[in-house]
Amino acid sequence: MSNQSGILVVAEPKDGKLANVTLESITQARALTAAAGGPVSVVVAAAEAAPFVAAAGLFGADRVYVVETPEAAVFRSNVFIDAAMAAIEAAEPAMVLCSGSPDGRDVAAGCAARLDAGLLVDLTGLEAKDGRFIATHPCFGGTVIVEKEATGGVAVATVRPNVFAREETPKDPEVISLEVEFGAGSLLAKVLDVVCENVGIVSLEEASTVVAGGRGMGSAENFKLVQELADVLGAAVGASRSIVDEGWVSHQYQVGQTGKTVSPQLYIACGISGAIQHAAGMQTSKCIVAINKDPEAAIFNFADYGMVGDAVALVPALTEEIRKRKSAS
Amino acid sequence: MNIAVCVKQVIDTEAEKKLDPSSWRLDRNVNCILNPYDEYAVEEALRIKEAHGGQVVAVCMGPEKATDAVRKALAMGADTGVLVSDEALAGSDAQGTAYVLAEALKGLEWDLILFGVRSTDGETGCVPAAVAERLGIPLLSTLAKVEVEGSTLKVHRETEQGYVAYECPTPAVLSVIKGINEPRYPSMMGIMGAKKKPLEVKDAGALSLDKSRIGLDGAKTRVLSARIPEPRKAGVKVEDDGSGAQKIAEFLASEKLV
Ligand SMILES: Cc1cc2nc3c(=O)[nH]c(=O)nc-3n(C[C@H](O)[C@H](O)[C@H](O)COP(=O)(O)OP(=O)(O)OC[C@H]3O[C@@H](n4cnc5c(N)ncnc54)[C@H](O)[C@@H]3O)c2cc1C
Repeated sequence: MSNQSGILVVAEPKDGKLANVTLESITQARALTAAAGGPVSVVVAAAEAAPFVAAAGLFGADRVYVVETPEAAVFRSNVFIDAAMAAIEAAEPAMVLCSGSPDGRDVAAGCAARLDAGLLVDLTGLEAKDGRFIATHPCFGGTVIVEKEATGGVAVATVRPNVFAREETPKDPEVISLEVEFGAGSLLAKVLDVVCENVGIVSLEEASTVVAGGRGMGSAENFKLVQELADVLGAAVGASRSIVDEGWVSHQYQVGQTGKTVSPQLYIACGISGAIQHAAGMQTSKCIVAINKDPEAAIFNFADYGMVGDAVALVPALTEEIRKRKSAS
Repeated sequence: MNIAVCVKQVIDTEAEKKLDPSSWRLDRNVNCILNPYDEYAVEEALRIKEAHGGQVVAVCMGPEKATDAVRKALAMGADTGVLVSDEALAGSDAQGTAYVLAEALKGLEWDLILFGVRSTDGETGCVPAAVAERLGIPLLSTLAKVEVEGSTLKVHRETEQGYVAYECPTPAVLSVIKGINEPRYPSMMGIMGAKKKPLEVKDAGALSLDKSRIGLDGAKTRVLSARIPEPRKAGVKVEDDGSGAQKIAEFLASEKLV
């Protein structure tokens, strides 16, 4: 009955590139359409789309819909929802994948509401079975894993960063330019200023390694040791809530139930007790290493490698050790 | 400035999770709390009211038990509460919830609608955007700062690198993050007073809800299975004997993580 086919990925431009999760979604979409059929389309909304179009092609998009307008220079929920909707109408996909970031959630929810479509969020798995898409998503901080499908013609989903692989498969995509008439309401929110306080920061949600510090680091001053370890590993920095509340670092760094959810390959917890609310944000990490001086700390109950000792001494020593190994190799 | 703040009751993170295998629904007969993110939304609403006047209404969809979440918002200082509660609503997904909240909000007076950025249980973070879309008003999500100047909002939306400042006229839907404020604890007076504040319970009929859009049958998504995963197991635990850093580095190298 439906003629929807293929997958449309809603691109998230980020620092002049496509966000990793967009590339991961394109890669996964390619694998799924190989079995289920239909094209992989990508929609790019930006002031200057060319570099994003090239990146989408590099990862194997068949078609790229372009909404090039100064209105899309900086993310605005309603503008990006209108742009994605225009591409959905043009592409008629069976599945729309948005990024599992604040921007992607807004776009996914807005489009799903307008389409009256099923909304699947924070996917950690997506399979095609007999022409249906089956999504896996963890909830309650990863303590319940749910398998879901959308019941209507088209489904809209957000994809958790760092769960699907990224693989280049260069293609020369068909580029289709879309003219979007933005509704008056969509342009009501105006951008006053873009403030970059942490230029060059490794994205916490997309990082393959996260080094996180907790109250066990002792002081805001000592927290720099965590940053230094992260730097030598090319990792993002995370924090427990207690030290955010203490004001050692800003809320942006908080991992956990009331902070960010991360699934890196490696999570190094330094002086973090491993409270359930912290675990909620990091227990889907592939490998967890914990440094804590209390052998009874809860974090050791789910860490793959636990080191009982003083984090204030061990963290800089580990930084040094890794630096040595890097320069030796 | 009249404000509607949407609140949800969630299962306490520390409560043990039990799934009903026939419906895949979570047993909610455990300790439930006001969604932690919603405390920031209620607090922000109260601060705006205190600075600019107006009324704050707390709006909730949930079982009868969710009255407690609304009462908590009232105890913090909200003026009135609305609980949309009906057997027919059980099993509603994010889309269904957004539809119901939007319908409930249409019957109320507000210039601004506030949400917590997500719930700690369903965790979709999608209801604010879907409600904004259904009401046809702008959405500003993930806010770390909200200022009101007359009928203009000036907000900071958190990004990885810092923030983006936006200006927007009311009405609008806003979602707020932790860090925007420090939620107050309800005072004894507040808790006593909350019992006398108006709290209206509305059912599907009172809101003339379209039955095909609500509950399990109206859901646009179907749960195929739900499981409680094996908890992560403890791995090795090593005592630092002075060579701890080398040992960690060796472990990382053996796992090809460095
Ligand atoms: C509603 C709610 C939401 C919450 N949300 C979050 C959230 O999103 N994220 C989050 O992290 N928490 C959250 N929490 C808080 C959580 O319950 C814990 O309080 C918090 O995670 C503890 O942080 P911590 O491990 O840094 O500090 P602590 O619990 O104080 O633990 C410090 C740890 O460091 C160890 N230590 C001390 N000195 C040293 C040393 N020299 N070397 C090595 N180890 C040392 C100690 O043994 C201890 O295990 C939330 C709580 C609630 C109620």
